Amino acid sequence: MNAPAGLDLASMPERIQAEVQRAIQRGIKGVEYFSSSGPTLGSTPKDVLAARGTMNLYHYRPLADEVYRVPVLIVMATTNRGYILDMVPGQSFIEFLLKRGYDVYMLDWTAPRPEEKGLRMEDYVLDFIPDCIRRVQQDSGEQDVTVIGYCFGGVLSLLYGSIFNDGPMKNLICFTTPIDFHEMKLFANFSDRRYFDVDRLVDAVGNVPPEMILTSFEMLRPASRAASQIQLWENIWNDEYVKSYRMFDRWATDTLPLAGEYFRTITKDLMWDNKLFNGTMTVGGQKADITNIKVPILHAVAEHDHIVPYDAAKHLIPRVASSDKEEVMLKGGHVSLVAGANAVRRLWPKLDNWLAGRSI
Amino acid sequence: MADKGSDPLALWQQMIGEMEKGFNAFANKTMTSPEFSKVMNQAGGVTAGAQKQFGELIEKYLINMNLPSRAQMVGMAERLQTIEAQLNEIKAMLGRMSAEAGAPTGGLGGAPRPPRSKRPPAPQQQSPSGEQK
Repeated sequence: MNAPAGLDLASMPERIQAEVQRAIQRGIKGVEYFSSSGPTLGSTPKDVLAARGTMNLYHYRPLADEVYRVPVLIVMATTNRGYILDMVPGQSFIEFLLKRGYDVYMLDWTAPRPEEKGLRMEDYVLDFIPDCIRRVQQDSGEQDVTVIGYCFGGVLSLLYGSIFNDGPMKNLICFTTPIDFHEMKLFANFSDRRYFDVDRLVDAVGNVPPEMILTSFEMLRPASRAASQIQLWENIWNDEYVKSYRMFDRWATDTLPLAGEYFRTITKDLMWDNKLFNGTMTVGGQKADITNIKVPILHAVAEHDHIVPYDAAKHLIPRVASSDKEEVMLKGGHVSLVAGANAVRRLWPKLDNWLAGRSI
Repeated sequence: MADKGSDPLALWQQMIGEMEKGFNAFANKTMTSPEFSKVMNQAGGVTAGAQKQFGELIEKYLINMNLPSRAQMVGMAERLQTIEAQLNEIKAMLGRMSAEAGAPTGGLGGAPRPPRSKRPPAPQQQSPSGEQK
């Protein structure tokens, strides 16, 4: 009987031996997987400058002998933890910035407490961000601040920049930031105003539970969790693969609840009425139109972003009034754009090239 | 060495990848329909209401068993967080006072802060672009 075309029978014993070795390793490493806690994340040394309810402001300790004049404030998305940008040494965006000579601060969020269910969009845009900017100015002794917003942190940064358009924000960098919320088609359908009673939900639960947020993210790619677990089992002999899987899986499932009133505003103003796209957004009675933004701005979008598709994000750069503006589309998805091996090679050097000259 | 077309492991991995893509695409198509939204939100509304009632019931049970309820534990955590926040405020204030007094600035383990004088590398030393499409 002939072997099928392309099948090298001579190499089969080696292949079988390798597969048997891997099967044994899977057994051993599989036990290790369930009995160990995984890599420590977010370990770049930092100091807590302020902690007020859900708001936390960190200052990372410098790793360079000389830093750029303008400090950097990273505004994290309110649904997720900031350690996605500080995974492990060598795969930490924060560490990268510090080593390149930036003075880095982060506005990160903890789960809003039950009595914080009344936090509104204006608390985030008109209180938390300005408060952190003031503290960064005070701590660094500099008036100018560069703001970097990731995902919904980008939306909050844009709203802030639209209202406080005379400073002190010197540069703005947004990662995967949606403008046209109707182009996030699945989220738009999940929150269809004909069937989704946001008032009833918020009134019933207070803060929107993290399980609900996580489920809505996972529903965008419902088969991916099962597939990734199969891939994990196949690669469980590979320590690097397992380490990477654990980092991203832990972060992805470590979703934060959202303050009820804030969620109500996101649903009504952004998902239903698409006010950011239409130029009718207001925060605390103040008009927040992104056409008011004049500072240098960089928008990094991902080619295969299933959470914020390009059609939702592409309007940012054409609309802002800045003369110094750039959009860069990089390979990767919503998360791999900013973290992991691809980000090390793609986004981070691009960002450094863009920001260095604007930080003096 | 066998090529990818005849390697059973590679074929298996390819099949899993294709199944994932196919199922995701099919599910995405289904989930864009208004009927899906209607059913999902009806089910979600019922679940949210049931969870709230169940939570209230458990809380009453814990109180009867003389055990701390979740609300009480959350209350204790809040007090701890408040104490932590106040400690951080005091720490930041001490750091500022120390800086004003000319001592090495706080928060850096006593080390002085680096000067804010860094300049970007000369253009010819920079890589042309980080973009790798």
